[in-house]
Amino acid sequence: MSTVLAIDTSTSRTSVALIAGDKVLFNEFHEDPLAHGEVLPVLVAKAMKLNVGIDLVAVGMGPGPFTGLRVGIAFAQSFALGMNVKWHGVCSLDAMAALISEKDFIVSTDARRKERFWARYQDGKRVNEPQVGKASEIEKIGVKIFNEGDYFPDPVELAKIALTELSVDQPIYVRKPDAYPLPANVKFREFTQLDLVSAVAMEKEIYGKAGWSAAQFKEEFAKAPKNAHYIAAEIDGKLIGYAGIFYVADVADIHTITVALEHRRKGIGRELLKRLIDWARTRKAQAIMLEVRVGNEEALPLYTQNGFTEISRRANYYGPGLTAIIMRKEL
Amino acid sequence: MQPLVLGIETSCDETAVGIVQGRKLLANVISSSVEQHARFGGVVPEVASRAHLEAMQQVIAQALKDANVKISDIDALAVTAGPGLIGALLVGVSSASGLALGLNKPLYGVNHLSAHIAVDALDNDEKIQPSIALLVSGGHSSILQVNNLASDVIVKGATIDDAAGEAFDKIARIMGLGFPGGPVVDREAKLGSKDAIAFPRGLTHSNDLAAHQYDFSFSGLKTAVARYLQQTPNYKKADVAASFQEAVVDVLLQKSIAACKESGIDNLVIAGGVAANSRLRELAQERCGAAKIRLRIPPAGLCTDNGAMVAALGSLAISEGIEPSQTGISADSAAGISQVIW
Repeated sequence: MSTVLAIDTSTSRTSVALIAGDKVLFNEFHEDPLAHGEVLPVLVAKAMKLNVGIDLVAVGMGPGPFTGLRVGIAFAQSFALGMNVKWHGVCSLDAMAALISEKDFIVSTDARRKERFWARYQDGKRVNEPQVGKASEIEKIGVKIFNEGDYFPDPVELAKIALTELSVDQPIYVRKPDAYPLPANVKFREFTQLDLVSAVAMEKEIYGKAGWSAAQFKEEFAKAPKNAHYIAAEIDGKLIGYAGIFYVADVADIHTITVALEHRRKGIGRELLKRLIDWARTRKAQAIMLEVRVGNEEALPLYTQNGFTEISRRANYYGPGLTAIIMRKEL
Repeated sequence: MQPLVLGIETSCDETAVGIVQGRKLLANVISSSVEQHARFGGVVPEVASRAHLEAMQQVIAQALKDANVKISDIDALAVTAGPGLIGALLVGVSSASGLALGLNKPLYGVNHLSAHIAVDALDNDEKIQPSIALLVSGGHSSILQVNNLASDVIVKGATIDDAAGEAFDKIARIMGLGFPGGPVVDREAKLGSKDAIAFPRGLTHSNDLAAHQYDFSFSGLKTAVARYLQQTPNYKKADVAASFQEAVVDVLLQKSIAACKESGIDNLVIAGGVAANSRLRELAQERCGAAKIRLRIPPAGLCTDNGAMVAALGSLAISEGIEPSQTGISADSAAGISQVIW
């Protein structure tokens, strides 16, 4: 008979259970999406007071919001090392589905950013890898959905699964690490004539002689709102980024995505790009194209992660020896 | 027998574990995710956090091996609880909490900045307090008066904009030298002349000194370098790097030595990642020698983020009789230097 300590931090709940065979010796949780780090050691310390030997540490490997999820996994692995026992990873959704006795259903938990983590179960078995998607998309599948709140990953079930199934050794992130938190004080709005002076100064600082003049800017965004869309990003009233897209004959073309040097890597470029893509969709564009300089390492991953692929290269596009990569995304 | 302390550091992009026994360094293992961040020109928090979790168990195992001890031999745990990237800190804090509970041993949550200074105590029996500490890294630049590292640290000045290490990163990025900026600028500067370009020394004018005697500002310098690069099409990278570096190092030392003189303390400790800079080390020797100030700079490998410094501060806390942290400490991304032990 094994004694198992089970931990799950994949949802807003931090759950800890201690089971010995069929007996549940301890089973507690605390609800707070931002306090897994503080709560988990307290709950485990409480379970330890029962003074029973532990043979195995089971932990929910997600999917779940990353920061909280890692708290459980990092803790479980080190706790097992300290106790000199093995740890065993379990898909957290499985530990939630185990509570539900339907023939065909979906369990879904909050993935933030208006999305859900989910997996489908038939006859008591998970039939797909955990996914992430919008609630409306999951509903389209047409089977009964059990959301976080109706149920939670259950640590007692998690312990039982750990005793019978193979260990999941890697965190189930599902999403790539593209989650740049935007600074809270950034505002996005339409780009106007009043932004010209700041924008031209930014062009000069960032692109030097290749930067646009005021006249070039005017010419481009005069096409808005019908055939062009220009967005400004500002912090405390100061322009810190802008982006523009032009649309004609089925394909939209991104003119610029520019973010002030001191505000890079904060997700502002990503947000600007997202807004351009959204606008292109409203115009029913079939594809978006853009040019990026070879060696522009900061921008390339942003585009590839957003579904742009290289279709060709143009030599000397930005001046002698400066090749442009032409990229395209189908909408 | 002095207690065996294992320290964990994950505040930025280094997953690091150190083991000390009293003041003796036994192991210092670092796994860095820096290469994964290089293409972004800065540390991406989510990438760093994932790398911490992935590396943690291996780094702990390697440190135990290097120190030739078993996990059950460890007497106490120490962990960086702040300041730093919150998601990254949480991996270290949770790992340390798990170890502490699994081993049933005390845990000390410690301040990352204080730990940079504490590392100076390793393999060193001299009494070094009180001292003036120049703490310079990617996130911090300050001058401190350290009467007692565990309980009495006074901030005399700090940067009012960029940290010194940040300025190195930005200049390296503008010149296309790579990331992180500290080592690449240092290397490039060796090929150039420090006197080639007269870049400004921030907050050293007499009218600035009244309000900012021991404060730093590097944003004007950064702008001056950017302007110079724009206006000088055929600039020599090495000269720009050397002249920029000299401007940073000059101000750091001017103000540190002034702080020593004014407070009558003739110990200067230079700590933090930028303390690995070869020109800072060289000029500090020179100027402290002239000013008859005893200079201490940890070996370059212990200046950048590491676990040994965390273990060293945990060890100091034990020797000072400080109570261990309570179960369930909160990582604090913005912790100030006044919070030394959690």
